Amino acid sequence: MLTELETTLLGVMMMIIMLGMGASMTPRDFLIAFRKPRGILIGLLSQFAVMPFLGYALAVGLGLPPPLVVGLILIACMPGGTTSNIFAYFSKGVLALSIMMTVVSTVVAVVMVPLLLAFYGGMAGVTGDYAIPPANVAQVLVVLLVPTILGMILRKVSPNVGATIELIGSFTGVVVILFLIASWVPRNYPLLLATGLDIYFATIGIGLMGMLFGYWVARGLGQDTNRARTISLETGIQNGPLAVLVITLSFTGAQQQEVLLIPILYALFIVLTSTAITLWYRRNATREELARDAAKVRPA
Amino acid sequence: MSTSGRSAPARPWIESYGASIPAELPESAYRSLAHLVNETCRKHAGKTAFTCVVPNGMNGSLSFARVDEMSSAFAAFLRHHCGVRRGARVAVQLPNGLAYPVVAFGVFKAGAVLVNTNPLYTPSEMIHQFTDSGAEVLVICDMFADKLAEVIPKTGVRTVVLAGVPEFFPRIPEMIVRGVQKVWTRTLPPVPALEVPVLRLREALEKGRAVSADPSGWWAKTGPDDLALLQYTGGTTGVAKGAMLSHGNILANLQQVLAMGRSHMTGNDCVLTALPLYHIFAFTCNLMSFFEIGARNILVPSPRPVQNIQRAIENYPITWITGVNTLFNGLMNEEWFSAFPPTHLVAAIAGGTALHRSVAARWAVMTGTPIAEGYGLTESSPLVSFNPLSDAARPGSIGIPVPGTDAALVDDDDAPVPEGQPGELIVKGPQIMQGYWNRPDETEKTVRNGWLYTGDVAVMEDGGFLRIVDRKKDLVLVSGFNVYPNEVEDCLAKIPEVLEAAVIGIPDAASGEAVRAYVVRNPDVPGELTKEAIVAHCRKHLTGYKVPKSIVIRDELPKSPIGKILRKDLKAEVKAEFAGKV
Repeated sequence: MLTELETTLLGVMMMIIMLGMGASMTPRDFLIAFRKPRGILIGLLSQFAVMPFLGYALAVGLGLPPPLVVGLILIACMPGGTTSNIFAYFSKGVLALSIMMTVVSTVVAVVMVPLLLAFYGGMAGVTGDYAIPPANVAQVLVVLLVPTILGMILRKVSPNVGATIELIGSFTGVVVILFLIASWVPRNYPLLLATGLDIYFATIGIGLMGMLFGYWVARGLGQDTNRARTISLETGIQNGPLAVLVITLSFTGAQQQEVLLIPILYALFIVLTSTAITLWYRRNATREELARDAAKVRPA
Repeated sequence: MSTSGRSAPARPWIESYGASIPAELPESAYRSLAHLVNETCRKHAGKTAFTCVVPNGMNGSLSFARVDEMSSAFAAFLRHHCGVRRGARVAVQLPNGLAYPVVAFGVFKAGAVLVNTNPLYTPSEMIHQFTDSGAEVLVICDMFADKLAEVIPKTGVRTVVLAGVPEFFPRIPEMIVRGVQKVWTRTLPPVPALEVPVLRLREALEKGRAVSADPSGWWAKTGPDDLALLQYTGGTTGVAKGAMLSHGNILANLQQVLAMGRSHMTGNDCVLTALPLYHIFAFTCNLMSFFEIGARNILVPSPRPVQNIQRAIENYPITWITGVNTLFNGLMNEEWFSAFPPTHLVAAIAGGTALHRSVAARWAVMTGTPIAEGYGLTESSPLVSFNPLSDAARPGSIGIPVPGTDAALVDDDDAPVPEGQPGELIVKGPQIMQGYWNRPDETEKTVRNGWLYTGDVAVMEDGGFLRIVDRKKDLVLVSGFNVYPNEVEDCLAKIPEVLEAAVIGIPDAASGEAVRAYVVRNPDVPGELTKEAIVAHCRKHLTGYKVPKSIVIRDELPKSPIGKILRKDLKAEVKAEFAGKV
């Protein structure tokens, strides 16, 4: 389990990440994005309709025990993670859409995550000790919205400070994952060895399936390939550290340890899978660009 | 008829000047640009002169006092460390940024001549320009340092100074922007080893400061007739030539800019400088004129994609925008602009290329302010004519000649054309260049008896308003009928699905030449864009021979650094396409 100090540290780092996320845009960007909300709405759909269902289906399909079911459903219900923006950039995706989806899904999460958790948790038969109190989640998210809004205002008032914080936030995102792995893995490696293949399948599968479905939902609703790839990455990459924070605030002792297994494994593996998928997407994007260029030089 | 006897014709446009424009051009208060910089920096010392904004909104600023101090330090560096003497040429190859005014003003204070150079030039273009001008020192943007290895050994450049895009930003933002350039966008190549000394601008300024000399001695003797700029131009035919613009030329043109606009300008203005300062339009209008009245220049290093300008417009109270047709069109097609047009705007100034009426009309509705169209050439520093900033302005017209300028329209035999008929526009005034550097033949072809032959065909309307019909060389001759590409382009631009268009002539067996239109689809307007629909639209508005016979739908058109559509590039394509066919 994470010590009190580690939990506090995690909380502080999450604040910095959210401050950085807010600082990646101005209040006006936010208003402009909602004038043409189609892409964002499709993103929300895949984020909060497709992903939680996938998490639930995987948990039930694999017949996981309650603590792991909670962990998996929680991960599936999380809003987009800030690292998705970096991957969107490197995959030659639509960076603005990625940033906007991350921010909007985080705001919407305040309402949606508690509802979804209660709904799918109930469906999966998670009760009593393992149920996460919805108020807890809402509280954490509301607390995190404060630095997000603060970040946005900072960017508007001083672009130099804002952009610097954005950068610090991105780095912190990576640091948090390293921090979680470093503080959790050494203490739990016997657990990792004892962990069954089905659990590895669930943690790796949730991200990959999210990306797969995210892409095809977007394509099916008329988004072009480039936007669909962006929505795909955004859907698959969840805010893992946020899930960890919620768990540390809701559980203690051995119980916390158990529930943390999937989110932490997820945070570890999503970095690897996203990197692979990003390279593949990047190749596709480059190929499409070249095809467009070739079409341009052909004489009429 | 010979031009030698051409007497100064009447200036019928003076009646259109109204109350705010002086009929006679006032004397400049300055003897040279160095004198102007010196006085202006003292007068407005504490105010912000320049702010550079990169696409993510990070920025840096210089006050008038700092510009003064730094440009003096750079002048001292040039004089003491580079051995620059009066009249020596210093090439400056920088995008818009805080380094530009420091360096350019430093060159003037050193009594030297500024050779503005496009940062995107290829090594062979750089070699031509540096050898032709005889540049001794080169100040270049570090993003293009990789070209130096090929260029420097073939030129007379003795010292190279490197400046970055985030030069003189606060320390941390500068580090971040440089970090992003290095790691993220990979636009900072390593500096090659050279035979000549290479230093960063900061080091150059340190060396200059250590000299602690009073720079006024270096420029005290510089007068209006001394050379200030070699401004290279003339890519359409043959090699680039250096237009020799004197201190007096620029000072006069600055007076002319202010004569037309001063009544609407204040020292608290904030002008968006998205056009490159190495181009004469932004150089005279933004860098010199707005600077002189104590206004603030918001410098955007690269306006392409247009998105790059968003933070500059969002974060500063922009009152003026200088631009070209494509820039205004591009801005209006950005949602962040159309949804929240700048609220402090007074007016926009268009030049460089014809402003489409549809663009001007849309701009007026969207921003509630006018775009005043002007006209000029590199050879005339550049302003020749400008629309008054009042109800008298005429859409589609390049306005009236600015105070102190004579204008006439002549035919191929140099005889004045009858009233209302098209003729080549020729102009005379204190802003006309001294000639082309080391090219007396070219000079003779272009400037005769003080008259500059613009190569543009214009008509004069009542009140002296001029309308450019076309570029002499761009005429398409269809069965002996003149087709002016501008007219056809203007017609095409009115189709909502068309983002932009270019028209040129192609060889045609039947009519000699035929009209070809290159059209770019507007992605923001839903609906098909078919060649049939385009032809149908043109048939409705144009005489038969002007209707494009061939239409090419493209994703984009070739453009110059300031966004002018390059018909010459399209012509080159056509030449290759029809090679051996006709």
